[in-house]
Amino acid sequence: MSRPARVWSLVAEQAASRGGRVSAADACLAAVAAVHVSGAWLLAASGTEPGHLMRVTDGVSELLAELQLTTGEGPGPDAAASGGPVLASDLDEPDAGRRWPAFAPAARLAGAAAIFAFPLRVGAIRAGVMGLYRTGAGPLSGFQLGDALLFADTATLLMLDAADQTVRHAAAPAGSTGSGPGGQTAELTLHRAEIDQATGMLTEQLGVGITEAFLRLRAYAYAHDRRLSDLARDIVARRLRLHPDPNPCTDEQA
Amino acid sequence: MDGALLSDTFVELTDTMVAGFDVIDFLHVLTDRSVQLLDVSAAGLLLADPRGELRVVAASSEAARLLELFQIQNDQGPCLDCFRSGQPVQAADLAAEAQRWPRFAAAAGQGGFAAVQALPMRLREQVIGALNLFRASPGAFDPADIRVGQALADVATIGLLQERSMRHHDTVNEQLQTALNSRVIIEQAKGKLAERLGLDMDHAFNLLRDYARTSNRRLSDLAQAFVDGTDALPALTAGKAQPQADGRRGRPATRPRR
Repeated sequence: MSRPARVWSLVAEQAASRGGRVSAADACLAAVAAVHVSGAWLLAASGTEPGHLMRVTDGVSELLAELQLTTGEGPGPDAAASGGPVLASDLDEPDAGRRWPAFAPAARLAGAAAIFAFPLRVGAIRAGVMGLYRTGAGPLSGFQLGDALLFADTATLLMLDAADQTVRHAAAPAGSTGSGPGGQTAELTLHRAEIDQATGMLTEQLGVGITEAFLRLRAYAYAHDRRLSDLARDIVARRLRLHPDPNPCTDEQA
Repeated sequence: MDGALLSDTFVELTDTMVAGFDVIDFLHVLTDRSVQLLDVSAAGLLLADPRGELRVVAASSEAARLLELFQIQNDQGPCLDCFRSGQPVQAADLAAEAQRWPRFAAAAGQGGFAAVQALPMRLREQVIGALNLFRASPGAFDPADIRVGQALADVATIGLLQERSMRHHDTVNEQLQTALNSRVIIEQAKGKLAERLGLDMDHAFNLLRDYARTSNRRLSDLAQAFVDGTDALPALTAGKAQPQADGRRGRPATRPRR
C-alpha cells in the first residue's frame, strides 16, 4: 500500500470507529495516534483571515489554538502566512521566545513543549491550519514529518469538501481509494503539476476563484468517475473545457 | 566556459543568507546557470519530499520539467538512480539505453533529449536531491563540464543545508515545503496565464519568469498575486484579452471549436 493510501485508510478507520462520514476532524484525530503527538487542533480558514476553530483533541490543544487566535502569534499564524509548515520542536529555545514573545511562554505554561503547524493549502488555495503539539521537546522524525504532511494533505481535501456548500457530489464511501478524496490525495502527490495547471486554467474558463476552480475540477472527476490526473491532462491539452454552468453534464467534450 | 559568469554564479549560489531568500528562485538560478555555463540543452532539479517521493522543484524548460516528472511517475530513470545511489549517473546515448530504462529512454527521445548526466545533491551521507543535465545530441559529456556541474550542485546543497545550522534544524524542511507549495502556486499561475492568453505552459512560464525578473519580484510572490487576483499583471495581459462586459475574460485563441 502506498503511503498516501495508508494514511487515507487510517483516516477512514477513524471515521468508521465513530460511525460517521469521513471528515477533516478524522484526519486530525488519526494524525495524533500515527505521528505520536499529544494532541491536535484544526482551524478553518475564511479567506486570508485567521479563521475559526473546527476541532480540538484535548484541553491543551484548545488552549493553544485560542492563544494563537488571541495573540495572533505562534506556529499556526506563521504557517498560514508562509504557506509552509512551522516546526517548533523546542519552545524553550531562545529562537521561539524571540519569534513569539507572548505565545511561547503561554504555550509552555499550557503544557506544550513542541508545536508543529501545517498549513492546509493547495498552492494559492487556503483551507486552514492543522496544529500538533507534544508535551516533550524534540523534532518529528523524517518519517513522522512525512506522515504529518500526508494527514494535512488529506485534511485539506476534506476541509474543502465540507466548505463546498452546494455539495455537487455524493459522499465518498469510507474505504474508497478511486476517484474519491482517498485516491485524490495520492494523485496530488504524484501528478501535481497537471492538476495545478488545469486548476489555474479553470479560473479563466469558469470565471471563478482558484478555490472554486479546484472544487469544480474535483466535482467533475467524481461525477464522471474519472481520475483527477487524466481529467487534468485533458484540460491542459485543451481536449476538454468546462463551462460556467454549474451542471457538469453540459460540459463540452472537444 | 564563461569564467566571469562562472564566478558570478558561485557568488549567487552562496548568497543564501540574504533577507528574502527564496528556495525556488535559488534553484531556478542553478538550473539556468547550468544551461548557460555548460554544454547542455536543459537542466532539471529534483528534491526529496519527506512524504516519500521526489519532487521536481526547478527546470530550465517545460520539456525538462516533464521528463523529470515522467521519471518520478514511472519510477524509472537516471535521475532516480542517481538520487538513490548518491552517485553520478551518465547516459551518453539514451537510444542505447532502452534495456536499462525502457520507458524513460522512449520519453526522453520524444522530448528531444539524447543524453543525460545526473549529479547528486549530497552532503556527506545525506542525499537531498539531484541536478540533471540534458543534451539534445548524443555523446559523452565534457569531464570539465561534469566537474563544474557537480561543484554547482555541491554549493547549492551546502547553501540549502547551512540554513539548518545557522537558524534551526527544522528550517530545511520548512523551506522545502514552502518551496513545494510555491511550486504549486506557480503551476496554477501558469495555467491561468496560459488559458487567458492562449499559450502553452512553457510560454506562460517564461512570461511569468521574465516579468518577475524585470520587475525585480520573487516569482512565487508574483504567481500568488496573479492567482489571488490581487495583481492582474496588466503588462503581460494588456491587449491580449480584454475583459468583456460581463466581467469575464475573452476566450483564448486556441479554444476548441464546438
